[in-house]
Amino acid sequence: MFRFILRRTFSALMILLVISAITFVLFYVAPRDPARSACGKLCTPETLALVRRNLGIDDPLPLQYWHWLAGVFVGRDYAGLGHCSAPCLGYSFTNHEPVLGLITNRFPTTLSLTLGSAVVFVVLGVGTGMLAAVKQGRALDKIASSISLVGSSLQIYIVGVVAMYYLSDQWGILPRPQDSVGFSQDPVAWFKGLLLPWFVLAIIFTANYTRMTRSQLVESLAEDYVRTARAKGLSRRTVFFRFAWRGAMGPIVTILGLDIGYLLGGAIITEETFGLHGIGALSIKAVRDNDLPLLLGVVLVAAAAIVVANIVVDAVYALIDPRIRLA
Amino acid sequence: MSLSRRNFVIATSVAAGGSMVLSACSSGGGGGGGTSGGGVSAGKYSSVSIGTKEDSTGPAPEIPGAKKGGTIRPISPQDFSHLDPQRIYYSWNSEVGNLYIRCLTGYRIDGGAMKLVGDLATDTGTMSDGGKTWTYTLKDGLKWEDGSELTVEDVRHGIERGFASFTTEGATYLQAALTGTNDFRSVYKGPYDGKHLDSVVTDTAKKTITFHLKTARPDLNWTLAMQSYGAVSAKHDTKEKYDKDPFSCGPYRLSAHSVDKSLTMVRNTHWDPATDPIRNAYPDSFTFEFGPEALQTSDRLIADSGTDQYAVMAYSGVPAERIQKVLTTPALKSRTVDGLLTGLYYYAINCKRIPDLKVRQALNYAWPLQQIRTIYGGPSSGDYATTILGPDMAGRVKFDIYGKLAKPQGDTAKAKALLKEAGKLGQKIVYTYPQGSNDAFEKTKVVIANALKEAGFDPVVKPVEATSYYDQVQQIDNSFDVMWFGWSPDWPTGFTMIQPLFDGRVIANGANNVSQLKVSWVDAAIDKAAALTDATQANAAWAALDRQLMEKEAPIIPEMYQRRFYLYGSKVGGAEYDPLNSSFVLYKLYAKS
Amino acid sequence: MTLVSEASGPSTADPFLSVRDLRVHFATDDGVVRAVDGLSFDVGRGRTLGIVGESGSGKSVTNLAILGLHDRTRTTLAGEIVLDGQELLTARERELERLRGSKMAMIFQDALASLSPYHTVGRQIAETYAKHTGASRRESRARAVEMLRRVGIPQPTARADDYPHQFSGGMRQRVMIAMALACDPQLLIADEPTTALDVTVQAQILDLLGDLQQEFGTSIVFITHDLGVISRMADDILVMYAGRAVERGTRREVLRTPQHPYTWGLLGSMPTLNAPVDVPLSPIPGTPPSLLDPPAGCRFEPRCAFREQVPAGRCASRRPHLPRTAGHGAACHLTAAQRVEYHADYVGANPG
Repeated sequence: MFRFILRRTFSALMILLVISAITFVLFYVAPRDPARSACGKLCTPETLALVRRNLGIDDPLPLQYWHWLAGVFVGRDYAGLGHCSAPCLGYSFTNHEPVLGLITNRFPTTLSLTLGSAVVFVVLGVGTGMLAAVKQGRALDKIASSISLVGSSLQIYIVGVVAMYYLSDQWGILPRPQDSVGFSQDPVAWFKGLLLPWFVLAIIFTANYTRMTRSQLVESLAEDYVRTARAKGLSRRTVFFRFAWRGAMGPIVTILGLDIGYLLGGAIITEETFGLHGIGALSIKAVRDNDLPLLLGVVLVAAAAIVVANIVVDAVYALIDPRIRLA
Repeated sequence: MSLSRRNFVIATSVAAGGSMVLSACSSGGGGGGGTSGGGVSAGKYSSVSIGTKEDSTGPAPEIPGAKKGGTIRPISPQDFSHLDPQRIYYSWNSEVGNLYIRCLTGYRIDGGAMKLVGDLATDTGTMSDGGKTWTYTLKDGLKWEDGSELTVEDVRHGIERGFASFTTEGATYLQAALTGTNDFRSVYKGPYDGKHLDSVVTDTAKKTITFHLKTARPDLNWTLAMQSYGAVSAKHDTKEKYDKDPFSCGPYRLSAHSVDKSLTMVRNTHWDPATDPIRNAYPDSFTFEFGPEALQTSDRLIADSGTDQYAVMAYSGVPAERIQKVLTTPALKSRTVDGLLTGLYYYAINCKRIPDLKVRQALNYAWPLQQIRTIYGGPSSGDYATTILGPDMAGRVKFDIYGKLAKPQGDTAKAKALLKEAGKLGQKIVYTYPQGSNDAFEKTKVVIANALKEAGFDPVVKPVEATSYYDQVQQIDNSFDVMWFGWSPDWPTGFTMIQPLFDGRVIANGANNVSQLKVSWVDAAIDKAAALTDATQANAAWAALDRQLMEKEAPIIPEMYQRRFYLYGSKVGGAEYDPLNSSFVLYKLYAKS
Repeated sequence: MTLVSEASGPSTADPFLSVRDLRVHFATDDGVVRAVDGLSFDVGRGRTLGIVGESGSGKSVTNLAILGLHDRTRTTLAGEIVLDGQELLTARERELERLRGSKMAMIFQDALASLSPYHTVGRQIAETYAKHTGASRRESRARAVEMLRRVGIPQPTARADDYPHQFSGGMRQRVMIAMALACDPQLLIADEPTTALDVTVQAQILDLLGDLQQEFGTSIVFITHDLGVISRMADDILVMYAGRAVERGTRREVLRTPQHPYTWGLLGSMPTLNAPVDVPLSPIPGTPPSLLDPPAGCRFEPRCAFREQVPAGRCASRRPHLPRTAGHGAACHLTAAQRVEYHADYVGANPG
């Protein structure tokens, strides 16, 4: 296990390094000048040069990258902005704040959104999938399958807007989605504010999990070892949960891990729809504002989330299935 | 300036969708007193004047029916880009800046009329030496949020901060005037090494401050109203970090700020209304919410439920999708304020590539303003522009040389005749716009190309990707003949509108004279008008130059003065349009119970 | 009728397992599959019944039906299955659960697939024991280790904590057997338990089963398509074809004097150690019929070389039944004389 983690962490770091380098280069291929946004209305060449120095973009590209990279490990001093301590992901061009701070500021929303909706879609999706698998071929199965098909073809920005209009504005059942109140400040307000986004975001995933759970369970219910378990006289319930579900879990946990990893990189459409301020909204801002350090930051967060999710998934898979060995 | 680079997306969508406000810097506004003479929708334009010492004395007149207390909740798609006064240029930032920043002068807004008054100063200043010396005296009882006294040293410190290396975003007029050079940082590096500017003199009583300018600026009183020249206490100056946590001398102070999510301002108990002729400050607090786009915010305000009853649309107007609904539903219409943006949208003609005046005039005749405005959303999206100076500029005189008000659809026959006369039938015209910023551009390019064809031109449409649009059209050696552009003045006199756009001496890569007009008589006329110390004479000179430019040079095709509609919740009182910042006048709002 | 011959002992009157006119039909999208269609047989106490037949003949389905492990949503069952005087077809699920693993147990063909890959073998054995005896965790574990030792797994205490994939094929099958026998079942159904194993291991497993049967007095139903295995294990033999029994008798009767042309074919396709290696096996020409729409008469008729020998096309139109009397018999329209004659010819033509 230790070797596994060591090896995978190393390769993860290499991946992140490559991604950061690619982002860096791609950013400078585009013909825009990030310095212009911080240069006043009647911008003079002198002021522009000053801004470039302030932003640390007056060096050659490889040197800039080196500075950025070194900043991650040992921190970095900015001419006009002061010290940015390690791990320094750079200063946002437009927010005038360390990128890391911006990301940590946004992360609770993304984390709440991700984990909350994961709870919803896992409970709903896996639950419905289990029912459908148990009632294979019966009406319940067919209804569940149809609903999940409809669910997977819905779009967040339509469902979200409609749900928000009726549930919050018209009927006042739920408060408007908000993320300004954190869990630690007021758990009830936090919960209410995210309930709608959780459910709407979950709609799309739920369908997927229903279908996957059903098909995985149908498959594993037909496994020989499940039949053996029944032949031993174990009850249906025991067989279902201890054997069939155990067999179906692997692929579901894999996809769940990757979905969570993906969502931790920011749920752009959901955040836009509900006016939430997670990593997704931050990514859009970074792109709009032509803000390289911020862009690098969010890209790396998204990539790291996926990479870490992969490692976790592999480790969990090994826990579930003793046939898998970590090396 | 060119419409903001930072908020480019917003800036361009203004033009086309009418959904958001010009986010370009705009610190000026207002119109030429009674002389502006209306315009297409008469009575809707504000009037601007310079107030007396009495006008500059607090408190601000009470608003009938207003009551103290409660919270007003402005909603905006974006957080403020800067809170440090010396780094504020965009009107969006100025809107909130008015709650905690005070300058020597400021605008008192009353029923659409704007009056320049003394804010920290007892009046709008005393000019001498042909505009080279300005003297101000501070009021008594000015305090910072910790109760300490605000002195002229704080005013001077704010101005000196404008030279620091980190305040690159702010205005530069005063710095250039004090040092006589645009490269003013090479002369003075800011107050942090203990040195002060020789050209700014304060008295021992810490009440009087005098500016000794290298170049005459008879309009410095307007310039000093820009928040870039707001006071900052040296004791509480945290340099770069001040942008996150500014120290207040206005009626409100910063209480909480969650970047890009929310910002709360609460009452500053040390602010004395008796010192302030401008601000009312009825609510106990303001809570800004950032994130929702204009359409979402409109729907929330239309629904008008819960705390949204205390909400106002901050800096993003009712979008095209909802404007008809809002304007045709009386209950909604009664909850709106509207006004024109201070900026002018226009099409710059590249005079270097199109040197023939007749061709530029033909373009003006041919341009299909009506079709363009229909695409933007019809009359509610704004008024046709026929002049360079907008209707809110001091001394502006309305004219319509190319008959655009009579024939807004364009006079292609006349254009063709002019082209023929010039021997330029079939003249190729490369038209460009920022692609990807707004769908409306994809539609307007069609009606533009059609009109040009009809007028005998050979139009070529060559869009530029939105994010690098300004970088490309501001190159001297670009390959465009007609470029979509916009500009807003920093204060409501002709100088800030005409000098940056048409002074032939400022042509450079990245500069704003995109028309590249380089004519000696224009340069001379600019210098002459800028030097006039009598405000009335100066205003008349700018108005005359406006007409001469369009008549004799036709360097641009004016398009529109855009109109903005803002919704506010049913429990918001005192709603008024700020012609200066194109937003609500926040400090006049109150919460109804 | 009873399968067990009168000569075979006292158990005749009271068979331990009795299957009567069993029908197992599956509903599929294409129609009803008659997997088992009117099957009857008995198994006496302490005896071994070998059921032979090609794959798809209904052997496994029959045994799943005995344990009640068929898919209830799409299977219809008719007839009766009586275990030690208790009717199983109509028994409640809870009652069946009580019997499975304790009174009747099953060994499956593919031990790798049939053992849970997610649990240690010790746990899999122990949970059966705990379920039926209510024994504590510690007792169950001791039982598991004991069973592993009994089926000949070296170092059983340590190996109880291993997972199935850590065992060799033969050892895995021993684990299966240990698990099946954990509660001393009176009926053991072994569904091709040695098919996947090589010959040496196969012999070891068969020996083990024989020894255990001796020790516990278990009745065994041994399902296979391998006549060699049958000849070694079974007391009685039932030959199945397309969901029906075509011949039954003691091992000796069926192997020495087979009466059904299908049995002849099976025996003919059986490799023997003394046959020359260069003589090819002679499988029965043709393929088994579709059970969606089986032939109306004898189900072997389309493949039968002797159908012309029965007058009036009766083979195609009428179902031949096993004789109602006990003892050796075949479900075939050929007369006794014809059977003797043709068998002799068949053996002559197909040396095997």
